[in-house]
Amino acid sequence: MGKPIVQLQGVTKRIGSRTIIDNLTLDVPSGEVFGFLGPNGAGKTTTIRMMVGLMSITSGDILIDGHSISKQFEKSIRHVGAIVENPEMYKYMSGYQNLIHFARMIPGITSHRVKEVVALVGLESRIHDKVKTYSLGMRQRLGVAQAILHKPKLLILDEPTNGLDPAGIRELRDYLRNMARQEGVAVFVSSHLLSEMELMCDRVAIIQNGKLIDVRSIQGSDNSAKSLRILFEVEWPESALEVLAASGLTGISEGAGVIAIEGDKELAAQVNESFVRSGIKVYGIRADIKSLEEQFLEMTGGEGIG
Amino acid sequence: MVDFLNLIRNENMKMFRAPRLFVMLGIVLALVIAISSVWFTVDKGQTAMWEVIITETMFLYWIVTIFAVIVASGTVAEEFSTGTIKLLLIRPWNRSKILLSKYISSLLFALFFAIVFLASLLLVNWIFFDLLGNGESVERLSQFTSMSNSEYMFKYYGLLFLNTVMTVTISFMLSTVFRSSVLAIAMALFIEIVVNNLMQLLAFVKYKWIDYVLFVHLDLTKFVGGNVASDGKTLGFSLSVLGVYYVIFIALTWIIFNKRDVAS
Repeated sequence: MGKPIVQLQGVTKRIGSRTIIDNLTLDVPSGEVFGFLGPNGAGKTTTIRMMVGLMSITSGDILIDGHSISKQFEKSIRHVGAIVENPEMYKYMSGYQNLIHFARMIPGITSHRVKEVVALVGLESRIHDKVKTYSLGMRQRLGVAQAILHKPKLLILDEPTNGLDPAGIRELRDYLRNMARQEGVAVFVSSHLLSEMELMCDRVAIIQNGKLIDVRSIQGSDNSAKSLRILFEVEWPESALEVLAASGLTGISEGAGVIAIEGDKELAAQVNESFVRSGIKVYGIRADIKSLEEQFLEMTGGEGIG
Repeated sequence: MVDFLNLIRNENMKMFRAPRLFVMLGIVLALVIAISSVWFTVDKGQTAMWEVIITETMFLYWIVTIFAVIVASGTVAEEFSTGTIKLLLIRPWNRSKILLSKYISSLLFALFFAIVFLASLLLVNWIFFDLLGNGESVERLSQFTSMSNSEYMFKYYGLLFLNTVMTVTISFMLSTVFRSSVLAIAMALFIEIVVNNLMQLLAFVKYKWIDYVLFVHLDLTKFVGGNVASDGKTLGFSLSVLGVYYVIFIALTWIIFNKRDVAS
């Protein structure tokens, strides 16, 4: 992973006597897709608004590529591309005019680059139509296009999969991962679709009531050596438990013909073999890995996930 | 600097792409043609062209100010109501410059509209009362000076436009502070209809502070004949009072826009 592109240092936001964001500290390095999770009202959007300078920071600071967003706004925002909430555009102008509008605001964007970005988000055929005729998915693409026009080092997307169909979500996911891998862009995504975040992100932060609860990596297949809870679905659970007891293992009956044991991959193979040898049919074996959603609900005390 | 001109180009693009522009141009042109043609049929083209122009200016110029205000107040308020303000403010331009580009293009739009209005007045009435009509030419528009007619018109429009600038500035402030153009447009209508017509009455009230009320000074056309109006006030004094208000309004607008958390 590269050097940190965005650094939140003890960021606090108070409005009146209410503390909305409380002492938030995190780093996102280049080349990482970073997920930002939390229930409704946890402060996700407020944090993003502070990161792009739409809201003032009560105390603490946010550095983007080493520049403070509050003190060196023009320098730091230059490296940021963002969609904050819905991708709002000027509906009475065409998609192309919208892009030209934003391209003019940053020096050095050629019309060639505009065409390139249009092709990248797959809007060539409709780019000269008025935005009011676009579907939500097309507006989302146009939103992405305006965010990446100036090749930002940090891409901030607030709820990017809202209103996209499954194919669109998949496309966006692949695209974001590509941006991170190949161009070294740091991608900061907030979403309420937990399973989506699991597929998209390298790391996720979970916040609740404005406080950072946890930052964790999304594990891939790197946990093969670890001890897991393994679930066996068998024909006769009682005799299966006896077989386990005979070889000195304790199984827990989970009901519906499922037994759980603790152990690694090797153990799973051995247990399976002994079941089969004892004439017990094994219908299924799986590792009981808690999904992000379950972990999330556990941590936030099962409050509604927005 | 070239980069800043791009911001103004952007604002102009948004103003001129908006469909309401054609409605506004259409209304102005239709009103001028309608009044001139009615006038022409009634007096069979006997009136002098300049007289018609100056009369129609007095009756219709407020439309220029109102349209300029609708556009100027929309330029900030509509970005807030559609949410596009967020996309605008996350570019490498600080808020003061964004706001300045909007203010300048609002004034440019007002100027454009005033010119379109004057040009259509000149053209339509030239056709009706000079080409088709047989009105005798008026020697002097102004009875108390020796100005030529075009000089008189030029000065009259300059003073009217100062009123427009002031009204646009007030509406720009209101729409920036309240993020809604309704209040701004209502205020402009109040200035155009109530203030510009009835404020002369207030000038007869003999309190010292009346002299420093903004509304007393908004109608500057009373100075068209000279730098001292019939009520004894001087143009310099009126401009100074307006200047102080102007600086306060601009400062308030910029300070509030810079401080505001964008949460909509």
